[in-house]
Formats: sequence, C-alpha cells, structure tokens
Amino acid sequence: MSDFWILVMKELKDLLRDKGLIFGIIIVPLIIYPALGQMMQVGFEQAQEETKVVLVNLDEGQYGDLLIKALETAPNVTLTKIDALSIDEALQKAQEENYNMIVIIPQNFSRAIENNQKAQVEVYGTIRGISGGMREAVSEGRINAVLTVLNEYLAKLKIQQNMEGDPEAILKPIDAKSFTVIKGRIVAVPPSLVANLITSQSFSMPIVIFIMIILVAQMSAGSMAMEKENKTLETLLTLPVKRITIVAGKMVGTAVIGIIAAIAYMIGMRNYLGSLTSSAQVGITLEELGLTVTPQGAALFVLIMFLAMIFALSFAMLLAVFAEDTKSANTVVSAGIMPLTFPTFILMFADLETLPLAIKYFLLAIPFSHPILASRAMLMGEYSTMYASAVYLGVLSVLMLLITARFFTTEKLLTAKLRLRRRG
Amino acid sequence: MKAVLVENLEKDYGKVKALKGISFEIKEGEIFGLIGPNGAGKSTTLKILATLLTPTGGRAEVFGHDVVKEGDEVRKLISYLPEEAGAYKNLKGIEYLQFMAKLYAKTGKSYEKMLELGVKLSGLGDRLNDKISTYSKGMTRKLLLARALMVEPKLAILDEPASGLDIINAYSIRQTIKQFAREKGITFLVSSHNMLEVEFLCDRVALINRGMIVEIGTPKELKEKYEAENLEEVFMSIIGGKQAVEVFE
Ligand SMILES: Nc1ncnc2c1ncn2[C@@H]1O[C@H](COP(=O)(O)OP(=O)(O)OP(=O)(O)O)[C@@H](O)[C@H]1O
Ligand SMILES: [Mg+2]
Repeated sequence: MSDFWILVMKELKDLLRDKGLIFGIIIVPLIIYPALGQMMQVGFEQAQEETKVVLVNLDEGQYGDLLIKALETAPNVTLTKIDALSIDEALQKAQEENYNMIVIIPQNFSRAIENNQKAQVEVYGTIRGISGGMREAVSEGRINAVLTVLNEYLAKLKIQQNMEGDPEAILKPIDAKSFTVIKGRIVAVPPSLVANLITSQSFSMPIVIFIMIILVAQMSAGSMAMEKENKTLETLLTLPVKRITIVAGKMVGTAVIGIIAAIAYMIGMRNYLGSLTSSAQVGITLEELGLTVTPQGAALFVLIMFLAMIFALSFAMLLAVFAEDTKSANTVVSAGIMPLTFPTFILMFADLETLPLAIKYFLLAIPFSHPILASRAMLMGEYSTMYASAVYLGVLSVLMLLITARFFTTEKLLTAKLRLRRRG
Repeated sequence: MKAVLVENLEKDYGKVKALKGISFEIKEGEIFGLIGPNGAGKSTTLKILATLLTPTGGRAEVFGHDVVKEGDEVRKLISYLPEEAGAYKNLKGIEYLQFMAKLYAKTGKSYEKMLELGVKLSGLGDRLNDKISTYSKGMTRKLLLARALMVEPKLAILDEPASGLDIINAYSIRQTIKQFAREKGITFLVSSHNMLEVEFLCDRVALINRGMIVEIGTPKELKEKYEAENLEEVFMSIIGGKQAVEVFE
C-alpha cells in the first residue's frame, strides 16, 4: 500500500469511528430530512384547501343569482348563504359565526348591470390570530378569478348585444371591492395586500431565529467540547461549585454572546431584507392597519426569544456531553438542532390553522416555532397565544436544563465517548 | 478522623475491570502514595475519590463524606490535579489563579493570601502575565500544581504530580508537599510510577497491580519485608520480573 492510501485509511477509520459524525452526516440526511420533506409537502397541499365563502345576497335580480352559480361551480370554493338585511348586519353575523371570507352582493347589483353601470361586489376577509392572512389571501384570489371569468362572459354578452353606455362598465361590469377586517376594524385594503405586508414583516424572523439558534447551540456545545479537548473539564468538575451552577454559568455566558449576536443579526437582516420587501411597495404601513407593537407585546416577544435560546443552549450542551472534541460537537449539534429548526420554515409559507392537526401539533411542539409565531402574534396583539408560548417554552427549558444538569452529575460527561487508552 | 476510607472499591468500564475491590485508609496529615504499573487503576481510584467517577461496587469516603452521595461536600474539602490536565488557554496564568482563588476563597483577605501563595508556588514570575497558550508543558503543570495547592484543601489528590517536570522542579514540588503536610496538616494522596520519588515523599504507600492492592505499608516496612534496597526492588519482586519487563520496556 502506498503512503497515500495508508493515510487515507487512517483518516477514514478515525472519522467513521466518530458516532456523532456518522449520525450527522449519514443518519440525519438519509432518514430525517426525507421525513421532514414529506411533512412539508403535506403542509403545502393542505394550505391549498377549500375556500369557504359566506355569501349574503341583498340583490333581487338575475345577475346576483348568476354570480352565486359561478361561485358554486368554481373549483375549491364552497359557498354558504346567509340571510341579512343590510351589509352591517351581514358583517355582524359573519363576525359572530367566525366566518373569515364574506362576499356581499349589494342591493341594485342586477339593476346596475342591466343599466350598463358598474356593479360592485364587496369582499371581506377577516384576518384573525397568528395566521398572517395567508388563507384569506388565497381565498380572495379565488373569488377574484371567478369574477374575472364572469366579467369576461358578461362583457362578451354586452358587446354582442351592442349595448351602449359607460365603456368601462361594459368591459368590466363587476368590480370587487375588497376589505380586510383586522383587529376588529374594517380597512379598505385587500386581504392579499395585508397578508403580504404581515408576512414580509415576519419573513426575516425564521431566518434570524434559525441562524441564531444554530449559532448559540454551536457556541455552547463548542465550549463544552473545548473543556474536554483542553483537559480542563476534570478540574472544573471537582471545584467546590454545584454542578447546576457550572451548567447555568456556561449557559448564561453563552446566552449573553448569543443575544448580542441576535441583535446584530436582526439589525443586519432588517436592512438586508428591508431592501427586498418594503412597505412602500404595498402602499400601506402596519401602523395604518392598527398593527402596532405594544411594550407588552415586545416584552413577551423578547421573553420567548430568550427562552427558546435557553432551550437551544441546554439542548446543545446535553448533546455535547456525547461529543469528544469540538469537531464532533459541531456535527452532533447540527444533527440534533437542524431537524428541529427546518420544519419551522413551513410557517413562512403556510398558515398554522390550515395545516392538518398532526402537523400543526408537531410544529407547536417544536420550541423554535414559537418565536416565529410570536413575531406575528406580537403584531396582531394576540397576547394569550404569546403567554401560552412563553409558558410552554419556560417549562421545556427548565426541563431541559434539569436533564442537562443531571447528566453533569453523572460520569457520562467523562466516559461517554472516551476510547480505551493505554500508554507505555 | 480518617481522611480517606476506601472499602472493596470496584470499577468497571464496560467489560474492563479497572478496580477489583481495593481497600485502604489514609490518616489525616499523611502523605499516601499509590504506586503501580500503567493501567493498574491508579487514576481510576483517584478519580473516584475526586467524585468524577461513580464506583461500580464498594464505597469511598473523604473525611466521613461518601463520594457518591455527598459529592458536593467532598468537593469542598479536596483539590484534585488530574494526570493529564490543561488550563484555559486564552487566560493569562495570573487570571487562571485569580479565577480559581475566587471560587475557593470565602473572604477578600483569604483571596489575596491564596493568590499570593499561588503566585509563589507556580514559580512562573513575570510569565504569569502571558497567555497560558504560550506556556511549555512543564510550565502549565507548575501552574496547575500551584492552583491545586494554593487553595490549601483538607485533602489534595495529585495524579502523577511531577510528570513532565524537570529534576529541579520535581524536587521543589516534593519539598512543598512535605512542608504543606507538616505545617498545614494537609493530607495528600499521590499517584506515581516513580518509585524513588514515592520513597522519598510518602509516609505510606500502596502497591496496586491490575486493579488490586498487592502490598501496603511504610516504605521502610516494605523494604525490610522484601529485603530490598529501595522500593523499586520491592516493586519488582512483588509484581514479578516478567510483567515488569513488559511494563518498563
Ligand atoms: N474511560 C475509560 N474507558 C474504558 N477503560 C478505561 C477508561 N479509563 C481507564 N480505563 C481502563 O482502566 C484500567 C485502569 O486505568 P487507569 O487510568 O486507572 O490506570 P493508571 O494506573 O492510572 O495507569 P497509568 O499509569 O498509565 O496512568 C486500564 O485498563 C484502562 O484501560
Ligand atoms: Mg493514570
């Protein structure tokens, strides 16, 4: 065998005996990621689910019925008709029944079309909770598609019949006027625009959180592994200090650096992504929609971020117990944390509420989903969801911390990965 | 009161039986040596007493505190120097001593005293202001020894304290250990394979081989019993020529 191959063999043996590395580079990509991919696909399919539209017909003519028929035959749209005497009453009923998409055909709808004037349909999308309006935006798109088809049909008819009147009204007889109901207020902005604005505002969040979690996790696992590598761990563990103090001290030290890094990233990312998506493109601001961040919301958000970070830190430290050196610590941490952060990317595109229950609860179980959800809940003023997140993360972090500290009181830390060593 | 009590101590690492039921006692203020060939189980014994490892069987106590059940109590009384140890590379030597002194000292005054002693014991002088990453192996060892002794524990557990030190430094550390035992009443448990060092240093020694204690006594007693000139000869006649050749080749 040539020297080259002798060296290659040694390298392979050394690397392949590292269990963390095997797990990180073979098991995770081979098994975990395909499973995650499958899950995300189901998520996307489900996000395209049926649009449920509540319809109030205040019109008495034939064109109102025509529109209803068109909506009924449209794919992916199911229609429920309710009775109301006025728009206000219709909205109130919809509010009470928790309908999120309402189409109102006003009085004189048919007459306007008959008289070759512009007829108007009102579309209301109610954005609630932490969905960010993605579902309403999809629904709005579907309703608009139906209207486009109907408009074309009516325009052809009118042109064939040589109708005279406002050319605008002949070419596009029906206008859709879209409103968004948000935080109990009606604003004359289409749900799609509002959704766009909300998601663009919270788009950077998953990326920042992802980077930050990986960063602090690597850091804390690295600092543990460094203690092993530099042979300082044994001394550290015999100092007259409680083990939990050692764990907590390491974590807080890393968390401080982590928070500084997070702030740096957030500022940097805001400027970077800000140049890609700005509220100027949409023409409205969050403030105009009544979506302002209150001190309470901001405080809760920071708390949730902090707790997620504490969880990541102690989880990484627990993983590092099984790593012998910094190299394998990095692999073990990536293998352990990445699968927990990737699924949260679904939240960038899909509305939690429309996902299948299993996926929804899976996502909710992942601690790193909560900062992303919280960033939206903060805008929407959904403090109860934020409190729930904080409590969940708090419990989880404390549990993780205790488990990690528990491992520090056993000899696992020293013997977990040590190889048989014989000198002389 | 007994400083250390070890009874039928056993330790398995998976299939490897590192300790097969050893027993010994150390009196307060005594310098006790654990000697034996490579892989005999010296470091394992010391790690158990330093609360780092959990024994598989038997028990061990430090000043009446069980090392498993009362780890926190034991750690308040001991100072442990691992066989292979490092210090935080990015710290300066003096910062390392300060860090350790802060953890042990209860008052500002005792902190100052501790630090002063540490600086003196290390013998590193101005080099204490350099980063530890620039130290030689022996310099790091001296720093670690200084930190282990400056805290003046009730029991110092030193795993091959003089390993990597030159003759002069090894000599001076032996003098320090003796002085600390006589003047401050500190108990020492020291492991070594250097028989002459042990003979010079220890009040009593235990010979350990393949996880078992084969002989225990004062160097004088052992020499008389085996009609040997020094401990090295005692060691050879007990453990036997064949294995000894294996060991020291
Ligand atoms: N972490 C470990 N995992 C498995 N076996 C171990 C481990 N540490 C020690 N051993 C085994 O336990 C036995 C005793 O080892 P120990 O380190 O106590 O010997 P020692 O007397 O200190 O030797 P040396 O003089 O070489 O330092 C050896 O057979 C060794 O291979
Ligand atoms: Mg040893």
